[in-house]
Amino acid sequence: MTDATDNANAALPDEQALEKSGLLAVHVIRSVGVRRVFQVGEEEVHALRGVDLSVKRGEYVSIMGPSGSGKTTLFNMIGGLDKPDEGHVYIDEVDIAALDTFELAWLRCHKIGYIFQTFNLITVATALENVMFPMLFAGLSQADAQDKAADLLDRVGLGDRRFHKPSELSGGQQQRVAVARALANDPAIVLADEPTGNLDLHTGEEIIDMLEGLKEDFHVTIMSATHDHKMLAASDRVVYLTDGQIASIKDRDQIEIHAGTIDGQSVA
Amino acid sequence: MTSQNEDATSGRRPSLHGTIEQQVQLPLRKALEIAWRNIRVRLVRSLLVTSGIILALAFLTYILCSDSLTRSFVENGPPKIKQRLENEGALSRVSDETAKSQTRWLVGLALLVSFVGILNAMLLSVTERFQEIGTMKCLGALDGLIVELFLLESTFQGIVGTAIGIVIGVVLALAEATVVFGPSVLGRDVLPALEMLKWVGICLLTGTALTVVGALYPAWRAARMQPVDAMRSEV
Repeated sequence: MTDATDNANAALPDEQALEKSGLLAVHVIRSVGVRRVFQVGEEEVHALRGVDLSVKRGEYVSIMGPSGSGKTTLFNMIGGLDKPDEGHVYIDEVDIAALDTFELAWLRCHKIGYIFQTFNLITVATALENVMFPMLFAGLSQADAQDKAADLLDRVGLGDRRFHKPSELSGGQQQRVAVARALANDPAIVLADEPTGNLDLHTGEEIIDMLEGLKEDFHVTIMSATHDHKMLAASDRVVYLTDGQIASIKDRDQIEIHAGTIDGQSVA
Repeated sequence: MTSQNEDATSGRRPSLHGTIEQQVQLPLRKALEIAWRNIRVRLVRSLLVTSGIILALAFLTYILCSDSLTRSFVENGPPKIKQRLENEGALSRVSDETAKSQTRWLVGLALLVSFVGILNAMLLSVTERFQEIGTMKCLGALDGLIVELFLLESTFQGIVGTAIGIVIGVVLALAEATVVFGPSVLGRDVLPALEMLKWVGICLLTGTALTVVGALYPAWRAARMQPVDAMRSEV
């Protein structure tokens, strides 16, 4: 598989950086036969019906699928927010089902950065403080957290908005703060669930471009859910999820051919 | 690399063993700051809750202190004035059992009402902040921190309300005693300063305990919330 070697090469410098911490696993996310059933009244809803997915370090993977296809459920599994009824989810080769509450909190804090459709900033805190929270949870001193948060806000282009509350920021700006917050503890994975869902097309594209750029700088793996074909350009791979199962997985080169025709269709 | 993959398939945690650590808490100062801002954001409701506590505690303090004052006056007051007051029936409250139990009921009710007020306000505040709590948990906050934030918030309102209530209660009791018994009640050998101080202490504890207990259940509910709910962004 040419694709595999490509990705291995891309992941090389990042692996060197992580060697010290002993994180060498190639697949930063691995789900094996993940099933999840929700009880809705009398009915059983199969949100996920056996999902096998491996994501390499440094990849940008988009999950596509209509609402109700299990995207969010899959995200919750990978984010350590929910546990599968069957199967396993490995983050850095650690089975998250085996972690206790404290370890899970640690995992969420250090390994995973979340970006939400609704931004979910803490309303009473300034942009700077919002970015500081994960670092304070990680035990960083106030001063260190402040420096790093200011730095991150500069990176997302909000250096001059540090002391603004979320209500004083536009949607795009709020999502930028959320991106900075997601990167606060140098996570291995950034999970973005419909990050552009509440933004206009232009702002959405800006956020995606920014994510793609930050992916390189922070050596982070990005997993993003979307149902907008225009947001796929940055992806290394696109996973199509239908009815709780993976329908197909497409590599970057395949997407680009595909995206053209889809774009053509959507315009027509 | 290959050995790692083998380990991985067997489901152990080879590369990370020992690096998964336990999560730490937010420094207290920061937690206080957030709690304070959450109060300020919901200032009107916070003031309502606080005023409920003020009323209940002012009542409790007033009853306790004014009983002490009357009792002390009966024991140590100038005999002449005492006699006159007894004839007028002004001292009946300390001896009349029915009146005493009625007062107790009233105090109990006042405390209950302010307790329910706190409970209600905190529950509302938790429901309002579901998403925020979930987000905090996604960022790595522990259940303990969520409980801490809510308890701090309500304790803060509790202490402020109790303190104001106590001051009002004591001032009222003293003012009433001065009017009824004359200024001699404030004299050194009549004024039950130590006993009143004891009541103030007890009232302070009662008021604070009331707010903490009232916030416990809402805080616990908030902490038990699953972070999944924050991700559930569909409206």
